[in-house]
Amino acid sequence: MMIIEPHVERDYEPAPEQAARSGRVWRNRLFKGAMLFSMLVAFGTLAVLLVDIVLTGWPALTATLFTEAPSSLPEEAGARPAILATLYLGGTVLLLSVPIGALTAIYLEEYANRERWWNKLIEVNIQNLAAVPSIVYGILGLAFIVRGIGIGRVVFAGALILTLVVLPTVVVASREAIRGVPDSIRQGAFALGATKWQVVWRQVLPAAIPGMATGSILALSRAIGETAPLLMVGATVYVAFNPTLFGEYTALPIQIYNWVRQPDPEFQTVAAAGAIVLLVIVLAMNAVAIFVRNRYRQKW
Amino acid sequence: MRIGLQSELDALEAGFQEAGEIVFRSIRGAIDALRTQDVELCDEVIAFDDEVDERYLALERQVEMVLARQTPVATDLRLVLAILHSALHLERMGDQCVTIAKLTKLSSHLGTQQAVVEGLVDMGERCAEMARVSLSAFAARDVQQARALHSLDDLVDNANRQVFQEVLGYVNDAEALEWGMRQITVARCFERIGDNAVDIGEQTAFIVTGEFAEFTDASHEDGQRPG
Amino acid sequence: METQPHIDSTRIAEASRGALARADIERREKVFSVTDLAVYYSGKPALEEVDIDVYRNTVTAFIGPSGCGKSTFIRCFNRMNDLIPGAKVEGTVLYHGEDLYGPDVDPVEIRRRIGMVFQKPNPFPKSIYDNIAFGPRVLDMKGSLDERVEGALRRAALWDEVKDRLKDGALGLSGGQQQRLCIARALAVEPDVILMDEPASALDPISTTRIEDLMHELKREYTIVIVTHNMQQAARVADMTAFFSVVVDDDGSARRGILVEYDMTTKIFTTPSDKRTEDYVTGRFG
Repeated sequence: MMIIEPHVERDYEPAPEQAARSGRVWRNRLFKGAMLFSMLVAFGTLAVLLVDIVLTGWPALTATLFTEAPSSLPEEAGARPAILATLYLGGTVLLLSVPIGALTAIYLEEYANRERWWNKLIEVNIQNLAAVPSIVYGILGLAFIVRGIGIGRVVFAGALILTLVVLPTVVVASREAIRGVPDSIRQGAFALGATKWQVVWRQVLPAAIPGMATGSILALSRAIGETAPLLMVGATVYVAFNPTLFGEYTALPIQIYNWVRQPDPEFQTVAAAGAIVLLVIVLAMNAVAIFVRNRYRQKW
Repeated sequence: MRIGLQSELDALEAGFQEAGEIVFRSIRGAIDALRTQDVELCDEVIAFDDEVDERYLALERQVEMVLARQTPVATDLRLVLAILHSALHLERMGDQCVTIAKLTKLSSHLGTQQAVVEGLVDMGERCAEMARVSLSAFAARDVQQARALHSLDDLVDNANRQVFQEVLGYVNDAEALEWGMRQITVARCFERIGDNAVDIGEQTAFIVTGEFAEFTDASHEDGQRPG
Repeated sequence: METQPHIDSTRIAEASRGALARADIERREKVFSVTDLAVYYSGKPALEEVDIDVYRNTVTAFIGPSGCGKSTFIRCFNRMNDLIPGAKVEGTVLYHGEDLYGPDVDPVEIRRRIGMVFQKPNPFPKSIYDNIAFGPRVLDMKGSLDERVEGALRRAALWDEVKDRLKDGALGLSGGQQQRLCIARALAVEPDVILMDEPASALDPISTTRIEDLMHELKREYTIVIVTHNMQQAARVADMTAFFSVVVDDDGSARRGILVEYDMTTKIFTTPSDKRTEDYVTGRFG
């Protein structure tokens, strides 16, 4: 049996040192450098901001902040009502946005016939809604919820507005989670004789919950930081009593804003302390979202 | 594992062994017909060949099916090929029995010579024995037993030569000569049966060793084989 | 000298039963009877002019080159094509003599009786027990769930491997085990037919052989239809084989599938009637 030897002709043999000096390697290093620089700028700026806030607000981070109501004296000023209201708002938004968002997502992904024009319309506009500036929701809320339905400038109204603000995000996140469930699972369930609802309720939804949870928590953490719409619907700036669901209120971002506006420089410290609290709440929620996503993520 | 393949191979081999049994009966029939000079028995043996042929064709068809459907490899493939070859050898044995029966019938009106008849019956017994041994060696995949057929075959060849010598002596008796010459052919048939049994033994060795080698080669002295 | 017989006599009896003759098969009940079937996706024909009968307790294989519509066809048997928007099925499919696409027929009930196993094993992201129990639960089947689960796993030749870890996640099983799990899942709802769409194509050779051996066992109780692109597999397991091929329109634009030949597997692989079949099984085309 003949064995055919490979015959290779090379007319150019670059020496290793020469290759290093060639343009390609330098371009490679340049690109790497540019990426590192960008990252430093981004995180550096953030780091500087955080450090500044913490240093400024550290002295005012005492129990007073949590236990006392706002007062004209910086030493006695606390954000208790604001913190409570923020928590109530958050809870209500969660209770409203998650079911509505989840069911909307289920309808759009599992039941809607994508050929129909109205579904195509909804499809396009969900993304748009997420991009609408939140103050617009505020104006809407003022007109329709506070005055139109006549609920008034209460916590529940604020929660409704915030729900509208975050609903598109929750829907998009839920849709992604539902889409993440492979079609083979649905096919397998159908092939056993399950009805559409059984497939959705027993297979798709349970598998999509981690993704939905993550999306909802992230949306919620955004809601907690919203200031503009709340101002529009009547979160008054100075509130010294504990809020109730259908009572007047203020929220933590607004409280911070109020303190910043005070002429007394002491209040800046308190404001910074309030900002730290807000940051901690938001970061904690994000951490929970990431934990949930990592722990329960389905490896298909 | 591979239930389908295994059951088809088992069925094929069972069919082969059954065909062997049938040929064995044919050989016995031919020997008995020769010994008793029974013309009716001769007719039965001749008619019985239809059954032998039927079995052979059935085996061929079965081999074709197994190869087409199961694509056997390695030992399985060698088994199937060995059965294909050996089936043909069995069919040949059957044909030899028919020839013996026909000759016996043809020369039945002539007188018999006891010495030759005894010699032929003896040959026949040895051949029957060889047929039986070849089939059992195949079933047991026993190469030793298969090789032993070679020495049994030598005995049959010797007996063949003895018959020939005996018949040479009938040169003065026309009737005995005619009868004797027919019996030489009969002896030749028995000798053929023996050769076919050795061939089956070679197939047994092929299954086990993967090599096909003739135990004896007519064109070479004993033990002098190429390769 | 005693000889050791090389053959197991019980196996011989088995084998002679297993080697079915055409007359035996055609005497059996026709589980499916398909007449002039055509399938269209958004108006374009995918498959046309199919006439076929599937007999009880046989393994029937659909073979053919890619795009010939064999997967489309097998999905007609359990109305899974209903789930594809734009899919239309014309012609008649009779199941035990009843029109499968009749107005009173509930596809959900059909799918209980005609189970399906897919090409890529698709266990649910639940425990092994819950995977098997899913079917009986959604169908509200009475009786002991534990017994059903064990029975299904036994019939799928998986019980011994998983009996101590029924609560473990199904996704932790190997590929071959997952596929047997999917088979067990289908068996748990007590079907009458099992459809398999290239059940072993994603598996290694040993797992493939186990699935094929399983089909040999299962066909005693169930009727099995399989799609396979591996024609040797069809040769090994199927009693009847249907060869589908692709027909291209004169201008080369539209491709659709047709049934070329349907016969005993032994015939298809030894003396096929149609030259196209011969070209395909000998590997000279396709």
